[in-house]
Amino acid sequence: MIRTEPTPRRPGDAGRGRETGQGPVGDDGRDHTSYLFSWELHGRLLWFANLRWAAVVGLAAAALAGPAVGMPSTNPSLAVVAALVAVYNLGFIYLLRYRLGPESAYGDLRTAAILQMVTDLAALFVTVHFTGGCASPVLPFVVFHMAIGTIMIETRSMYLLACAACGAAAGLFVLEHLGVLVRYPSAAGGVSTVATCGLSTAMLVGLVFGVVYLTDSVTSRFKARNVELHQITTELQRSLAEREAVERRKSHYMRISAHQLRSPLGTIKTSIQVLLDGYLDPGSAEGRRLLEGTAARVDSLLAIVNDLLELAKMREGRVKAPWARNVSVNQILADIFDAQDTFASEAGVELVPRFIQEGAAVLDWAVPPDLVYAFENLIHNAIKYSKPGGGTVTVGLAVDHERATVVVADQGIGIPDGLHEDVFLEFVRAPNAKHAAAEGTGLGLSIAREAVAMHGGEIVLQSAEGVGTTVTVVLPLHRVPPELSAP
Amino acid sequence: MILLADDDPVFLESVAAVLRPRYDVRTVANGREALIAVDDDPPDLVILDVMMDHMSEGFDVARTLRSAEETSLIPIIILTGVDRVYNVRMEVDESWIPADHYLGKPVAPDELLRKVAALVGPGAAGSP
Repeated sequence: MIRTEPTPRRPGDAGRGRETGQGPVGDDGRDHTSYLFSWELHGRLLWFANLRWAAVVGLAAAALAGPAVGMPSTNPSLAVVAALVAVYNLGFIYLLRYRLGPESAYGDLRTAAILQMVTDLAALFVTVHFTGGCASPVLPFVVFHMAIGTIMIETRSMYLLACAACGAAAGLFVLEHLGVLVRYPSAAGGVSTVATCGLSTAMLVGLVFGVVYLTDSVTSRFKARNVELHQITTELQRSLAEREAVERRKSHYMRISAHQLRSPLGTIKTSIQVLLDGYLDPGSAEGRRLLEGTAARVDSLLAIVNDLLELAKMREGRVKAPWARNVSVNQILADIFDAQDTFASEAGVELVPRFIQEGAAVLDWAVPPDLVYAFENLIHNAIKYSKPGGGTVTVGLAVDHERATVVVADQGIGIPDGLHEDVFLEFVRAPNAKHAAAEGTGLGLSIAREAVAMHGGEIVLQSAEGVGTTVTVVLPLHRVPPELSAP
Repeated sequence: MILLADDDPVFLESVAAVLRPRYDVRTVANGREALIAVDDDPPDLVILDVMMDHMSEGFDVARTLRSAEETSLIPIIILTGVDRVYNVRMEVDESWIPADHYLGKPVAPDELLRKVAALVGPGAAGSP
């Protein structure tokens, strides 16, 4: 079975994904990194909205105190600005609390962030205008806004906003100097000259772009680390879940195994107790029949123990198994035909070898006893579960350049729908199989699948109850375990 | 008559050997056959294995018998070879399963006879 795993990404890749606001897409089609970033962006926007109340208070205070420090133009203009900021801040808080949640699309939150930046900058430039234009003491807040914006949203948008802010500032100062807009005095007194204003504008441009660049340099590393941490955490959680599933499976397997051993033991102990307590005379015909039945239970117990050991050996890995090179599948099947011939005759089943394509199937590497076990089990099952009176069991072998395909087809009792995969699990036997043949450990197909998987192959079962079962085994011809293929 | 249901013929034979000197015994191999047998000739007692063709087949049969008016009074003994936790759970609260008694596997013949006698009397040969 092929499992699809998401392609591992380098931290840098993830970082770049974040820069554009489009993170790596997970295997469920959801953009996990954007989701992560959306969650963070939502938190930052709320934090910024709360911080904005300080600006409202500051503006209101400036409106009141401005005339006292030589800026009469601040009253009531900054009070109006404070009121407007308070109103749109309430709107943003409502939007973030009731319309855009932490799980909203990244694009929607980014739009909200840009909108906040633009409205803040607009309010700020109105404030700058009323507090002295290019000599305004609040001009550095433009730089402060740029730093916060770069932390919140991706760099490309911030460079665009930086351009817009610098253009707006330059436009404002030009309009003031051209006399289109009134030039209000700053707190320092007087109005700025063209030279000082040009210098202030140049410094503002340098500071705005410098702050965006520096803030981005620092935060992008944290952003990349954050994404990397998220990916590692996800991987760890997945790995932990897989491990827990394995542990549960092991525990289930142990419990089922113990029960399967306990069941015949219970019968054996009960039978012996019945004989020991004198309820039946061991010498009588009934007593003897019970003893024979008990001996059969001991045999089934031994068969289970042997199969469990076989399965355990395969699962532990077969690097030290008796492997061989150039193993002929034809020969293995021919030997099994010989060995099963008597059993087939007794069951009235005709064994039909059918080689779909001429040619020898030779595996570069194989563990012959395990392959024998697998094919013997499949052919033995096909005979054992043939309908009373017999039928045919056809064993086909096809070969191409890459693989050998063995098909074991019977006309037997079949496997009920819904159990076609389960019969490969340990101790699972279909009810009709239990009725048809009392003996059977329920481990044969588990071992067969394990043996085939160990050779890099796969086993597929098709069956219809009452019609028959076809098991197809595909084995790669040129597979050699990595530890043996090294030069 | 006692109806015994278990998918292991050797176990059936052992338990039947213990009961036969005192009671009429009929044996069946699964839950479906048990329900048919009850319908055919209602027994005085039903002894059911839990796991037959299906995981909880014995419980299912017991519930079916308890839910039908004409069979709801037939005493039931559940036999089980499942793990100890399962047994403890049944000891703590026998109402968890619709049975009068349960017996763990392997079955001790004397204990089996005692529980059977408690439900349907000592049988033909007097007190066990």
